[in-house]
Amino acid sequence: MTPRHGSGEVQRSPDASMTLINEFYRRPLDPGYADAAARRAAGSEPRRTRRSTVGLVALAIGLGLGATAATLALRQPTTSVQEARELLESQIAQRSEEADATQADITAMTEQIATLQEDLLGDEGRPVSDQIDEVAVEAAVMPVTGRGLRLVLTDAPSDDPDVVDPMSRVQDVDLQIVVNGLWAAGAEAIAVNGQRLSAMTAIRSAGDAVLVDLVPLASPYTVEVVGDATHMQTELARAAAGQHLATLRTTFGIGVQLSSQSKLELPGTGLVTMYSARVPVTSADPVPEPGPAEGALDEGDVAGSAGPTGRDGT
Amino acid sequence: MIAVIGLVIGVVGGLLLQPTVPLELQPYLPIAVVAALDALFGGLRAMLDGIFDDRVFLISFLSNVVVAALIVFLGDQLGVGTQLSTAVVVVLGIRIFSNAASIRRHLFKA
Repeated sequence: MTPRHGSGEVQRSPDASMTLINEFYRRPLDPGYADAAARRAAGSEPRRTRRSTVGLVALAIGLGLGATAATLALRQPTTSVQEARELLESQIAQRSEEADATQADITAMTEQIATLQEDLLGDEGRPVSDQIDEVAVEAAVMPVTGRGLRLVLTDAPSDDPDVVDPMSRVQDVDLQIVVNGLWAAGAEAIAVNGQRLSAMTAIRSAGDAVLVDLVPLASPYTVEVVGDATHMQTELARAAAGQHLATLRTTFGIGVQLSSQSKLELPGTGLVTMYSARVPVTSADPVPEPGPAEGALDEGDVAGSAGPTGRDGT
Repeated sequence: MIAVIGLVIGVVGGLLLQPTVPLELQPYLPIAVVAALDALFGGLRAMLDGIFDDRVFLISFLSNVVVAALIVFLGDQLGVGTQLSTAVVVVLGIRIFSNAASIRRHLFKA
């Protein structure tokens, strides 16, 4: 081994540069096992105490649990995606609740306003308050109850839920045509899935969702109409909307169910938006019109004039 | 043998209880599982060699998992996480392979 007697340098094994890999190939087994076996053979291994046995078992159970948990977690690679999705879902639910609460506030306040209006008008303002009520129904502010029609439109059943043919779905255009047809057939009030339609309500689509009054709705779409059921049914069948419904049913397989209802309850939007106002001229007008009524009345006016565009919704 | 029984109890318990792994530990799971596999194969081979030892098995299991996770953690901090993971997988993979080969020789004498 001394360089003096050797070839001039330390004898190197030819694969000295690969010790690491050799180590792994030749001694894949942890040398600890061999050492422990040697100690046992020599009898030098200290006797295992009860405490260390318990510790070993606890360690083994812990390792088994951990390994299983890790494997299970790895077999669900979408955990983070899932959590993000759940977070978004909870946010959607929370915001929807907030929106509902605000809507309830609006409804309560509208009722309060109505009560205050009545108080203010008193008996001498009866004609005015009657007019307000009438216009408020037309403007979809007040809830409406009465006889009418219920039309349910359902997306065509699909073989593959992942691939949905847009033609087999109820689209915003379909709802627009149906709703316009119903207005033309003499409907007094219409609601789609509980969303009351006013003259200012737009029906349009965003992606796959149909938006009614900016609220996304999903199939089935229940169109509830208050009005003369028989008259509306005949009118609808004669108009273009009836033909459109027939085409939807026969060509695209969209479910169309029309039934007359003895009692329908349509919610009001409760929303009075001031679009225009004018100061009443007291000298020319014997009965001064109070401010709030002005808003409601003008809402009716504007709604009436904007009707066709609102209903077209495009 | 006590270690194997404990491990089996742990695995069954894990399957029944379905514990969730904290999100911060998620990146280290794949490497930790590979390291655990390496320890398992080593233990199996030692058993067939007749030199199995509970203590050595469990401690090599634990240290394998911890060191593997630590290497990935360090790699992540240094910006070479994927490369170090690859290195760990290669090394452990070689060991698993050669241990598996030796187990095969024991079992099938071939």
